[in-house]
Amino acid sequence: MALHQQYDLTSRIAAHLDRHLVFPLLEFLQERQQYPDDEILKAKIELLSETNMVDYAGDIHKSLYHTEEVPKEMLDRRAEVVMRLKSLEDSAAPLISFLQNASLVQELRPDKQYNLMMLNERYQIGPDQIEALYQYAKFQFECGNYSGAADYLYQYRALCTNSDRSLSALWGKLAAEILMQNWDTALEELNPSFFLVTPTLQNFSSPLSQLQNRIWLMHWSLFIFFNHENGRNGIIDLFFQDRYLNAIQTNAQHLLRYVGTAVIVNKRRRNMLKELVKVIQQEQHSYKDPITEFLECLYVNYDFEGAQQKLRECEIVILNDPFLGKRVEDATFSTVPLRDEFLENARLFIFETYGRIHQRIYIGMLAEKLNMDEDEAKRWIMNLVRNSKLDARIDSASSSLIMGTNHLNIYEQIIENAKNLSMRTSVLAKNILENVQPQGSR
Amino acid sequence: MASRFWTQGGSDTEEEESDYEEESETAAGPGEGGGRTQTNRYLKTDNASDSDDSDGQRRIVRSARDKRLDEMAATLDQIRNAMKINDWVSLQESFDKINKQLEKVARVIEGDRPPSLYIKALVMLEDFMAEALANKEAKKKMSSSNAKALNSMKQKLKKNNKQFEDYIIKYREKPESEGEGEEEEEEEEEEEGSEFEEDLTNISKPDEEEEEEGEEGEGTGEGAWEKKMSKKDKLMDKQFMKDPSEITWEIVDKKFKEIVAVRGRKGTGRIEQVEQLTFLTKVAKTPAQKLEILFSVISAQFDINPSLSGHMPINVWKKCVENMLIVLDILEQHPNILVDDSVEPEEKETQKGADYKGTIRVWGNLVSFVERLDSEFFKSLQCIDPHTNEYVKRHRDEPMFLVLAQDVQDYLERLGDFKAASKVALRRVELVYYKPQEVYDAMRRLAERRADGEDKDDAEAGEEGLVQEEIRGPLSFVVVPEVASRVPSFPESSRAFMDSLISLIYKHGDERTKARTMLCDIYHHSIFDEFAVARDLLLMSHLQDGVQHMDRSTQILFNRAMAQLGLCAFRGGLVPEAFGCLSELYTGGRVKELLAQGVSQSRYHEKTPEQEKLERRNQMPFHMHINLELLEAVHLICAMLLEVPNMAANTHDSRRRVISKTFRRLLEMSERQTFTGPPENVRDHVMAATRALTKGDFQQCFAVIDSLGTWKLLREREAILDMLKAKIKDEALRTFLVTYSSCYDSLSLDRLAAMFGLSEDHAHSVASKMMISEELQASWDQPTRCIVFHNVEPTRLQALAFQLTDKLNILAESNERAYEARTGGGLDGLPPRRRGEGQDYTGGGGGGGGKWQDGSFSASQGGRQQGRPGYGGGNRFGGGQQGGGGFSRDRGGQGGRGGGGGGGGYSSGYHTGRYQDAYGRSPYQAAVKGSQHETSARMVSLSRAGRV
Repeated sequence: MALHQQYDLTSRIAAHLDRHLVFPLLEFLQERQQYPDDEILKAKIELLSETNMVDYAGDIHKSLYHTEEVPKEMLDRRAEVVMRLKSLEDSAAPLISFLQNASLVQELRPDKQYNLMMLNERYQIGPDQIEALYQYAKFQFECGNYSGAADYLYQYRALCTNSDRSLSALWGKLAAEILMQNWDTALEELNPSFFLVTPTLQNFSSPLSQLQNRIWLMHWSLFIFFNHENGRNGIIDLFFQDRYLNAIQTNAQHLLRYVGTAVIVNKRRRNMLKELVKVIQQEQHSYKDPITEFLECLYVNYDFEGAQQKLRECEIVILNDPFLGKRVEDATFSTVPLRDEFLENARLFIFETYGRIHQRIYIGMLAEKLNMDEDEAKRWIMNLVRNSKLDARIDSASSSLIMGTNHLNIYEQIIENAKNLSMRTSVLAKNILENVQPQGSR
Repeated sequence: MASRFWTQGGSDTEEEESDYEEESETAAGPGEGGGRTQTNRYLKTDNASDSDDSDGQRRIVRSARDKRLDEMAATLDQIRNAMKINDWVSLQESFDKINKQLEKVARVIEGDRPPSLYIKALVMLEDFMAEALANKEAKKKMSSSNAKALNSMKQKLKKNNKQFEDYIIKYREKPESEGEGEEEEEEEEEEEGSEFEEDLTNISKPDEEEEEEGEEGEGTGEGAWEKKMSKKDKLMDKQFMKDPSEITWEIVDKKFKEIVAVRGRKGTGRIEQVEQLTFLTKVAKTPAQKLEILFSVISAQFDINPSLSGHMPINVWKKCVENMLIVLDILEQHPNILVDDSVEPEEKETQKGADYKGTIRVWGNLVSFVERLDSEFFKSLQCIDPHTNEYVKRHRDEPMFLVLAQDVQDYLERLGDFKAASKVALRRVELVYYKPQEVYDAMRRLAERRADGEDKDDAEAGEEGLVQEEIRGPLSFVVVPEVASRVPSFPESSRAFMDSLISLIYKHGDERTKARTMLCDIYHHSIFDEFAVARDLLLMSHLQDGVQHMDRSTQILFNRAMAQLGLCAFRGGLVPEAFGCLSELYTGGRVKELLAQGVSQSRYHEKTPEQEKLERRNQMPFHMHINLELLEAVHLICAMLLEVPNMAANTHDSRRRVISKTFRRLLEMSERQTFTGPPENVRDHVMAATRALTKGDFQQCFAVIDSLGTWKLLREREAILDMLKAKIKDEALRTFLVTYSSCYDSLSLDRLAAMFGLSEDHAHSVASKMMISEELQASWDQPTRCIVFHNVEPTRLQALAFQLTDKLNILAESNERAYEARTGGGLDGLPPRRRGEGQDYTGGGGGGGGKWQDGSFSASQGGRQQGRPGYGGGNRFGGGQQGGGGFSRDRGGQGGRGGGGGGGGYSSGYHTGRYQDAYGRSPYQAAVKGSQHETSARMVSLSRAGRV
């Protein structure tokens, strides 16, 4: 089995996604040509059979079997879907017409109870119609009309009183936004839904369903985090919360790949690395891929050769991952920005760790370790030194790099140790005095 | 009056019954009848109404008479002795005594004729008295008390002898023939009477009474009832065989109630009750009735062994299992019969016949029977000496029970009573969880062979049964075909077996059942070298938090699971994890107790008999033992591997971190020895290895470890020893680098690798790791492939200054905590638990504060450090609840650090719980262990109060 297939997570991820959300993954796979086209098309039809996107399924069928005919069951299904759509539309019609009238919508107030009363009294729109709106929105979503679904769901949530329904409407809205690639709105949407999943669910649902919800949320959010420019921080913030980290360890270890990538790429969240490495070590028996192995080589075993090799594998994995391997098309060539960033940062990681334990490094050797040629390596190092990220000097004569020793002066250490003592003591004394005085005055 | 006999007799019956047995066998029918005659006659005279006790009484009559006469003879001897020394005081006493005895004998012996022995005594006394009175000289010489006694004796005797004048005269006439003649007479009388009586009963007595007679006959057979079977059956047959059609449900029911009513009363023959009931099962009229009676049979069988410590006789146990199977057969055949112990069924419920359509409720509880059977099986294994053949034989019964449990479980599942089914499933799990695949296979084969060979066995048994059946006469009225399967079906692998049961239990079991199952599961996974799975199970279940509140046997199970988990981690080469699991067991030096594999004597504390008994009751049978030698070896080796480099690194450091106190103590002890001999036990071996490792001599170290005999117990010995060797090399390298870094300026990688037989990459990696963690003040010089040491050893003054700042820090910290504890605040917004923890820190810190004068900071550091790894571990899986319990334990820190070395945050997770529980589970000792455990001891005693 080829490397990229071996580390393909699509099947594991798809289990935690909405049916519709799997499409982008399949599209990506098709694009990457990792699997025979036919298989993917078949998978797509399979996927669509449960949805209402009958026309699309028909198209795929045509291209798969190179025929103009659409199987009869698909046609039947189409008729059925259209009929169903009609009936739902009818039942939800009063409310929809109300909502489409901008002036009427103005009458709605933030107070839900009032709105319900008002609708009921003036427009004879009761709970049935509202329920119908939900069904209609859901049906729209199934049909692939995401924007419509998103709108209706938004309005539904304003009127809905059932918290379970409200939650599933929220999920629906999130999915619709993701599918429409409205990353900004999706990220906004993620926040309320993420809050919903965390605290409220806790009160009335079993730990198992909480766990399930968290895992769903993490998977869905992958779309957003790796597409939104602000997502890199978001993913770390979300995934490193205890509850979510627990969820990852319990049931979704494959997400470690994304966490790992996010941490490596994110320069500002270096401090998470230690925790991540710990988690990776704990889970190494249940999940392993080049990215986690890379971190392990570098931070557990200090095996630089191994890290080097893993880095090369990482590149392949990243290119073939639907979330990580997103391409940016320029006029003439396409790049995968994440890959470049990842490699750059990983290189820096290797170098940093290597530098910490060495006194003198031969530049040629370093260049080899960093996958660069010697001059390039020299330039790279010089840049680092100039940006004062690195305390080192280059000894041109022996063409080696001499690392500055960074031992803390022993006296400094002692001073450091004793520094805050006086402060702490004075705070304590102050506290005690404060406590004593009121008692004394009493 | 009668009842007094009854109680007295009850205790003696066992000795006497055999005598009677022989007699009755030789005497056959008439003798038997004779016994009854006496009773009946007695009944007439004394207490005819109390028919319930009649059988017992009659038995006692016979024996009591002998006994009284014996007593009397003894008194007679005393009288003779007293006469010889002319001691009137004791004569007087003896005289009173013999009179009292006479009263008793009078009750026993029918009629008003006193026994010849008594008369003999009277005659003797009279003669002696006359002699004494005649001898005036002697009388004067007597002491005052003696003379007084003589006088009173004179009067008493006179008065007394008047009553028996006739007899005395008769006796004086022919002293010898008297007794014999009397006895003969008696016997004649008996014989006559018995014939008469027998006729009478046969003719006139109604059915019911006859039944009683039958019972009597049976009752006599106690102890040797099997021999007597035929006779008894004959009697039983008399009532029931005569006309089967006449036996009605009512008769059987009445009899049944009668027997059950006697149950538990003092002196009721337990075995005979079983027999009676078993007979009744044969004559039961409806399946439901049969079921009801069978339940009573089973209960009665459980009653046979009343003491908690002993076990049920094995043959009874087997019969009991068979009965259970019959119960299942009935239930299987008549699905309309419901077994229930919640509602009291109606009076006539069991009268409804087999063709009755509606549901019939029968009182009973299958699950508790199964559980009881299992406990009895367990107990028998506890009691039987494991080195005997009997023990092995007993093991063969295990499949038998498993079959029963399986059937009951299936039945309950069909009924939809999953809760009960899960309880039964747990019993099955507990029989299998400790078995490695080989043993499981062996059991499976045994069961299969049983199944194949069963035909033969069955045939034999059947024949036997048939023979017995013929003897017993009637076939049971309700014939039950064997529907429930007698053949166990075991899945191929024990894992599959466990999985199927476990999933059921997790779904439906109650808390305790689930917890136990979880522990069994962990244990089982550990046996199969699946450390990661077992660990995750343990951590996710939060078992270590609650285990100190659980019952004793669950705590033992927990300890066993931990021990096994530790062994598993060791086999997988995870030294810190293994140490984390095992260190706990060894902190108190009471491994044996904690694992319930024997009793260790504590020097400081005498156990009360109850504690000992309790402990004995919880002992594990031999075949479930975890090899203690291996366990100790693994624990000490892990401790060595962690502690030796640690000691080397911290020789001069003020903050000496102690990873394993136990190990340190052992090491100190062995260092104190003036002469170290060649290693003998596990401890010696590890100590010798430690000495070698401290010097960096990995070869010697490994050689010593390798010579341990206990490795042969491991399945993959070679692989594990290789792993161990690699680990030893690593640690030797680390120790070497730390110890001798001050002697080197630089050290080449080639040389280093060669010295320790490591690959260069590996040596590089080990050294790099030390550099990163700042254990080693050095760095690589890449072009020359050397380690360059930066000798930054602080001067003495500097080191002291460091120590000073450290101590000041600790002082400041403990001040702050003391303040917090006092004000109870300062940490606004933190949950109360955290705050409680803070207070505990104070305790730890305070302890340190007391000690720091002598320069040891271990206690307070333990207190401080425990929190940190604890949080790391606690956060995992648990939403933070996990860490809570254990933080207050002083030594939580050590364990946490032990795990922290390998970066396993989780290991601290299970430490925390373990501590409390190690102390929690044997509260009777916790109190001794010194102040640091007091909190836990208190906690436990609180929690135990309600339970025990």
